[in-house]
Amino acid sequence: MSEQQTPASPSNGQDDVTHFGFRDVPKSQKASQVAEVFHSVASKYDLMNDLMSMGVHRLWKRFTIELSGVRPGHQVLDIAGGTGDLTMKFSDLVGRDGKVVLADINASMLQVGRSRLTDRGYAGNIEYVQADAEHLPFPSNSFNAVSIAFGLRNVTDKDQALRDMTRVLKPGGKLMVLEFSKPTNALLSKAYDTYSFTALPLIGQLVAGDSESYKYLAESIRMHPDQDTLKGMMENAGLVNCKYYNMTGGIVALHVGIKP
Amino acid sequence: MFPGPTLLTAITAIIERALNHALELDPAGQKALLSALEGPVQFRVTDPVSLTCSLHRAGNRVQVRSQPTDQPALEISGRPLAFAALATGDHRVFTDNRLQITGDTGLAHQFQRALDQLSPDWEAAMAKHIGDVPAHFIGKRIRNAVSWSRQAFSTLNANIEEYVHEESRTLPGRRELEATFEDIDSLNLRTERLEARVNQIESRCNTDQPETL
Repeated sequence: MSEQQTPASPSNGQDDVTHFGFRDVPKSQKASQVAEVFHSVASKYDLMNDLMSMGVHRLWKRFTIELSGVRPGHQVLDIAGGTGDLTMKFSDLVGRDGKVVLADINASMLQVGRSRLTDRGYAGNIEYVQADAEHLPFPSNSFNAVSIAFGLRNVTDKDQALRDMTRVLKPGGKLMVLEFSKPTNALLSKAYDTYSFTALPLIGQLVAGDSESYKYLAESIRMHPDQDTLKGMMENAGLVNCKYYNMTGGIVALHVGIKP
Repeated sequence: MFPGPTLLTAITAIIERALNHALELDPAGQKALLSALEGPVQFRVTDPVSLTCSLHRAGNRVQVRSQPTDQPALEISGRPLAFAALATGDHRVFTDNRLQITGDTGLAHQFQRALDQLSPDWEAAMAKHIGDVPAHFIGKRIRNAVSWSRQAFSTLNANIEEYVHEESRTLPGRRELEATFEDIDSLNLRTERLEARVNQIESRCNTDQPETL
């Protein structure tokens, strides 16, 4: 069971602290510190994603959409939806009879996402909700699919968030967690570390004028549970048939689970 | 395992983009293909690597997915060469079982007809960027080149066939071969009849022997 706990879970009895990158911070402060990071990067978020991943993040998200099994008429919740990449694709899939809820805890990201989607003509089947993934303001058994892309590592209590995402899923519904993970190849891991801790903050400084936020990004990725640990956490949250797909050598992994 | 999800997704993204761009240039073909995609159509390459992709309709666009779909309306499976032959208009791939169909065969015919009907107006697309007159000039040259290469390929094929069959006599001609096969079939039939006749006479002799003693 201990293998299924997040590496960041405090084991020294200090239950009121959690990690923020490589630092320990009081649990009550993590959300506000993460919020500061995203307020800071919201306007350049899409550009930075393209620069940092060299455009590959679009392929990771596309694969997530492919595995979602979302069909016309479905209800979909896109948590930590940010600037709405997944919401846009889900909106096409669910059609006029379906609904997509773009939820994000950060008002700035939500505002950028709403403007971007509206500018592109996406309206009618999308709702915008500012919500905390640990306490989702939706009734139980509401959604056919729930996705969270590059958001779970910023959540303070991941187990609670996974439990609440499972709660809002309909029986047979699918939870998809797209998140940075652990590279499976030692050489790739080394190159990735070098890139993350040198190039990322530099790009952040040059493009977004904020190297600290991107230093946090690299650190938070290292503190995130690895593939098997996250799979165990999803099973503990009550999901079944949990599996994960490593992408780009395990730099990113898509975890999928079904609510029984 | 090669190819991983990222590479597969990249390939399907490129195919999807090209396919939808081609369909935008042929509204009639687009309509025919979209109506043939009421349910997902899945393609499964069996050899040398196992690959699956499926076509789905999403509004007025076609989606290409790299993952197997749960309940395809139609599944076409076979080797890559057979799919290449289908793409070039060879319909015998279904009758000689180079491609296997699972699901709605009516839909398979509809899908095949829709693919045959596709004729994107590349000239119109080019005209948007370089103007009508240059586009028509280039388009005409390309059409002539394609027509000439088809004719040249057909003539080359006929010439090689004639040389092999008639001049070098390396292989027998089709009709000559058919006559030989007919003779062999006839000989086979007569031999079987003779064998049956001999067996009948033998069994009659064996049956009659005790009575004569």
